[in-house]
Amino acid sequence: MKNILLLTVLLTTLAFGSIRIDTTYTTAGAVAQKIGGDFVHVTVLGSPKYDPHFITPKPSLIAKLRRADLLIINGGGLELGWLPPLLRAANNAKIQNGAKGFLDMSHFVHMINVPSSVSRAFGDVHAQGNPHYSTDPYVILPMAKAIANKLAQIDSSHALEYQQNLEKFTKEWRAYLKKLDAKMLTCKDKKVVQYHQLFNYFLRRYNYKIYGTIEPLPGIAPSSKHTIALINVMKNNSVKKILQDVYHERKTAKFIAEKTGAKVLIIPHDLGADGSKTLQEFYNKIANRICQ
Amino acid sequence: MKKTVYLSLLACSYLLADTDLEALKKQMEQQKIIMQKLEAKIDSLSKKQVQMQQEQKIVQVSAPAVNTSASFSQNAYLPDIALILNMSAVSRNVKNSDYENFAIPGFIASGTAPLPFNKDKGFNLNYAEVAMHSVVDPYFEAFANFHLHPNEFEIGEAYVQTTSLPYALRVKAGKFKSNFGRINFKHQHSWHFDSQPIIYETLFGPDGISDAGVQLQWVAPTDTYIMAGVEAMQGTNGKSFGDTEENNLYVGYLKSSVDVGDDLSILGGLSFAHGKNDTANPTNVYGVDLTLREQLGSYSALIWQSEYLYRNKDVGTNHNKQAGLYSELIYQYNNNYSAGFRYDRITKNDTDLSAYSGIDTNNLDRYTTMLEYKPFPMSRLRLTYTYDRTKIIAGERKNISEFMMSLNIAAGAHGAHNY
Repeated sequence: MKNILLLTVLLTTLAFGSIRIDTTYTTAGAVAQKIGGDFVHVTVLGSPKYDPHFITPKPSLIAKLRRADLLIINGGGLELGWLPPLLRAANNAKIQNGAKGFLDMSHFVHMINVPSSVSRAFGDVHAQGNPHYSTDPYVILPMAKAIANKLAQIDSSHALEYQQNLEKFTKEWRAYLKKLDAKMLTCKDKKVVQYHQLFNYFLRRYNYKIYGTIEPLPGIAPSSKHTIALINVMKNNSVKKILQDVYHERKTAKFIAEKTGAKVLIIPHDLGADGSKTLQEFYNKIANRICQ
Repeated sequence: MKKTVYLSLLACSYLLADTDLEALKKQMEQQKIIMQKLEAKIDSLSKKQVQMQQEQKIVQVSAPAVNTSASFSQNAYLPDIALILNMSAVSRNVKNSDYENFAIPGFIASGTAPLPFNKDKGFNLNYAEVAMHSVVDPYFEAFANFHLHPNEFEIGEAYVQTTSLPYALRVKAGKFKSNFGRINFKHQHSWHFDSQPIIYETLFGPDGISDAGVQLQWVAPTDTYIMAGVEAMQGTNGKSFGDTEENNLYVGYLKSSVDVGDDLSILGGLSFAHGKNDTANPTNVYGVDLTLREQLGSYSALIWQSEYLYRNKDVGTNHNKQAGLYSELIYQYNNNYSAGFRYDRITKNDTDLSAYSGIDTNNLDRYTTMLEYKPFPMSRLRLTYTYDRTKIIAGERKNISEFMMSLNIAAGAHGAHNY
């Protein structure tokens, strides 16, 4: 009886003692868990099996936001279509934009593909640049640092532990990057097309050349005219790799593959999108698939 | 002799030593001067460096004079502004002059229905709406909807709400759409169908419960979503309330949602509105709503949404007890296409129907089906067929058949819609 009582007390203190972190996507969630360790409880709002632009704003997510101490978003406009009404409905002063418990990761990452002018005539273009930066394994390091600094700020009693976790993780990750870079050096065929501008950061990191996207404009479904034009570009440049994400239709990619003799490669855009359980597994999966 | 030699030697050595010393001293002095010079040089150099660093700092803080006309510019604080346009082409088996004067027995007397949307057979420009949203300061944000009909300006909504109250509380004040039921707080352009559910149209009119007042909402600190809210409103809605002597309307609701697995979410709500009607007697309205949404993919879903509303309106001589429901099924095929079917029915009409003697006032129902095409999330074309068996036209029960093609666009900075 005494033991049970002790256990309950212990559990409740644990539950109350930990910092509740909500992240919009899985990769940031995994980094937060690495840095926060036992002092945090991480909840990921958006399932990696769905298009990150179109997460369904289920009311159950409001309950998750209601109790968060820290909200970590991807930023760059990726959550614009689903998060703001939820955040408003959660009535949580701690994690509103501008509050101490709000962290926008895109502020710590050098964004690429920043358009010089923005109009919806060009489709669903993000004014701040391409928001899909988490496909670049190097981005993990500034993310980890930003999270460690933020955690030290909102939970200063464990600042030392967060700093230690950061140092340990950074060392691990640098070692991993070395291995990954070496592996990527062995990849030869560097010509690709992709469905959406989803893997630009990874492709840029490892010097791939992108010959086009299956969708004619960001967020616009493929058209036959555009598909035929893309097939011709691929034939003329002998592009043999089509990078397909897990959530778009695959018919168009298969059709293009048939016409060009290219391979359709399913590439995860976020941790867990294709079964990966850890950060290293996630990037290994991208690397292995792209290197085929 | 020996002595002399010694002496001279000694003297010589002395002399020699003397000259050596002289030379050394000279050298020393020269070195000292060089040192001094070097020191001076270092001194001046370090001074220069300090000066340069300072210079650099000054350069860092100085900016070239660009954008010189912006001394008092506040462009960065402009609110999000969106333009929403809604229009339609309608084909109907009833003349416009007859349709305008329709009646729904027990609810809407002939000629009293305001018809702001899709009234005319032919073409309709329903509205141009200017929607604005802005953060006010660290404590408030503000919203406004200016609803522009062809011949009329209306403040659809204009309110402020808090962003930083403790205990997950939020206060809203101004003119706003009540959170009663499932569909009441949503704007016409975000409904699944262009027409309002019959039970809402008959109990509250086209604007629903929309009034000046205050609202308090609270989200429970539980894993399951539970939200409770209360509202005090002016109660100007003449269809159910409308006692204008003082503020007369109080609304309360409880909403909860659970997920079954990753893809099925269930949202349910109970609502209650208590007000005073224009006979200075109480009106009570009860609402139950249930929405199930099964996500079939990123862009595909099946949504089943239903509501039941019951009104008990005390008009002094009588207690009018009326109720109705709608149930709709929406299939979103992908980002571009969706289709839907809705069934509307008046289930209870316990009121004075003597004005309709000789007319069948039973089985008031309506069937609506739609096909929607969205080229982009900001634009929508919708084809709707409606078979409406709720209306009395020109003194007799008339089943209305209607085809409609509607176009809705939301241009500019338009925020995401609620669930």
